[in-house]
Amino acid sequence: MRIEMLYPEVANLHGDNHNIVYLGQCRPDAEIIRTALTATPAFVDSAVDLIYLGPSPESAQVKALARLAPYRERIRELIEEGTAFLFTHNALEILGETLQTADGSEVAGLGLFPLRTRLEMLNRYSGKVLGRAGLGGDPVQIVGYKTQFSFVEAAEDLPGFLTAERGIGRNRQTRVEGVRQGNFIGTSLVGPLLINNPEFTKQLLAVLDPDTEPTLAHEDLIMSAYQARLADFTDPKRWHPWEQLES
Amino acid sequence: MAMGSLVCAPGSSNAYQGSKEGKLRKIRLYLAVWVAKLAFLAIRLMKRQGSHMPGYLALKVFPDLLAHLAKPKRIIVVTGTNGKTTVVNLLAETLAGEGLATIDNRLGSNTDAGVASALIQGVYWWGRTKADVAILEMDERSARRILPGVRPEFLVCTNLTRDSVKRNAHPEYIAWIISGGITPETTLVLNADDLICARIGGVDSRRVLFGIDRLPSDTTTPSGVARDLAICPNCDAELVWDYWRFNHIGHAHCPSCDFASPQADYRVTAIDRAEELVELDLDGRAGSARLLNDALVNVYNQIAVMAVLDRFGVATDRILAAFDHLSVPATRYSAQMIGEVTLVRQLTKGVVGVACSRAFEHIAAAPGPKALVMNIDELTDIRSDCENICWTYDADYEYLADPSLRRIVIGGVRRYDQALRLAIAGVDPKIMTTVAEERAGADLIDLTGMARVYNLHSVHNTVVTGDFVQARLLQRLREAS
Repeated sequence: MRIEMLYPEVANLHGDNHNIVYLGQCRPDAEIIRTALTATPAFVDSAVDLIYLGPSPESAQVKALARLAPYRERIRELIEEGTAFLFTHNALEILGETLQTADGSEVAGLGLFPLRTRLEMLNRYSGKVLGRAGLGGDPVQIVGYKTQFSFVEAAEDLPGFLTAERGIGRNRQTRVEGVRQGNFIGTSLVGPLLINNPEFTKQLLAVLDPDTEPTLAHEDLIMSAYQARLADFTDPKRWHPWEQLES
Repeated sequence: MAMGSLVCAPGSSNAYQGSKEGKLRKIRLYLAVWVAKLAFLAIRLMKRQGSHMPGYLALKVFPDLLAHLAKPKRIIVVTGTNGKTTVVNLLAETLAGEGLATIDNRLGSNTDAGVASALIQGVYWWGRTKADVAILEMDERSARRILPGVRPEFLVCTNLTRDSVKRNAHPEYIAWIISGGITPETTLVLNADDLICARIGGVDSRRVLFGIDRLPSDTTTPSGVARDLAICPNCDAELVWDYWRFNHIGHAHCPSCDFASPQADYRVTAIDRAEELVELDLDGRAGSARLLNDALVNVYNQIAVMAVLDRFGVATDRILAAFDHLSVPATRYSAQMIGEVTLVRQLTKGVVGVACSRAFEHIAAAPGPKALVMNIDELTDIRSDCENICWTYDADYEYLADPSLRRIVIGGVRRYDQALRLAIAGVDPKIMTTVAEERAGADLIDLTGMARVYNLHSVHNTVVTGDFVQARLLQRLREAS
């Protein structure tokens, strides 16, 4: 199994790169490639099972966009071929039509998905999300956290990663969260996603290597943590007014 | 020697004369001051404490209050992730010792309301200022609401490292917030060893830089999760560290272009912990002073204070002598020996991963077998705010994957998350016990054969859990000794 982490020297906020640390512990035989901004990504000319990009400061997001721009068609090809991608937090926005910089100006994205991003730099949103998503299996309950300046507006027919049963989605007016196309997963949820959602992680492991029975590292602990959080998130009293959709 | 002036617009003694608009503004300003002063009076009569509400009310009455209120002629604002309160304390005490009438907000809020409260306390009912100098602590996120009105002579930024992900996002964001509030007359006093802090402001900003020269404990290989400046901002090449201290603190250069850490004007050139001395280079003048506290963050605070005092105009010999008498407030760390065992109480601020990393690093570095009672959930985060446990993955729990850690009891609502994080960090689950009731850890932990026992708690549970666990551990260790 080959997992490529893009630009971890700048895309490393919110502890989210532990998504890949954890996958590496589930599959100690996996090769984890850490690709620097100045390097050519491994996916350009070799097979990679999972391509990961995590949260970054706004300036680094623009740098990552510029570095990925030459490989736009290759990324499109890989998504269409069914290669697994996990783009978390603001990484997904790079693949949209436009994104905003901190000073308010617009930058063209890679244009792979019909979505646009706007930033509210003085109005950070934090909230929980509860929904369901599946990957090659039955949908499982997903729990996650949002902490972000950016809000995504997308075409209505662009499939989401999940539809929030509680919490907001791509923005404060929709329950549709993130993007899902084949094995491409783009989501603003942090936590990290794969650690907070072991059942989903098991499905991802099965997709990455269909010939090997997926096993979770530290299974007892990760399941206990998941069940405790799920019990919390399904309790209506745990939800604050600002975590509801705006009408 | 108060150098007061009547309430007036900045830079203009007759701004309120003439126009109807000016007169209305003057009325609102007086009204705001009086409302705040009455609020202070009411708080005192109720024998309560509060420095936020008076300023909050004043700003409601007159939102431009900070710009138009009469202020001391000299203002120092202090901000940064760590050390704000310490620096304000040290500056206030030193400048008061110089015979100046000072005002500050060190016992109160550091938002715009807190700053307004402090400045209003520094004027008489009719607006004349009582003080020569204001020393104001500023919440980083409040910079754009405070700096344009206050227009300080000096803005000190101690450092900018990761803090609460929900409030502060990341250090670059905080640098952006602060930079957006800086006015041209302000001299920036910045940490040269912090490449994010050192670069706040604009190209024309006046800068004074402080730092600590290479220390024996420094390395050249960064480690840890929170590395916020790993690449050259100009060409993206990975920075080479001449010396690395923690997070993005140290001295670096780009191997591909001319980008490098700036040289500090005010430097600690050596720390002599045995003699409790710091050797100094104060803008070209060598000297030494008493070491205030051996925690590195406090050495940075000390040299920052020296830089401000020197630029403020305090004589060098008086700056050096001032540290003979100054002290830093009690730290959030205490250690005591009970027989052969050291009992350590350490506030380990949940939600702030960087603070936890420093605590864990300190634990790992201590000698001997250790046991931990760990209650660092931030419950307030769940009840009154929106929980986000991602901070645990922004903290270097890996320090605790050390053979000297023999037993850990983890308590609290998120005990499984904490235990999982420890397991992912490499801590053997066999040495961990989880328990829902936080205080139960004090009895569950096996103290046999331990050289050090730690009581780690967060901010919200300092009294309910921290005090209880401390007392119970103390009792058990005394009984065993």
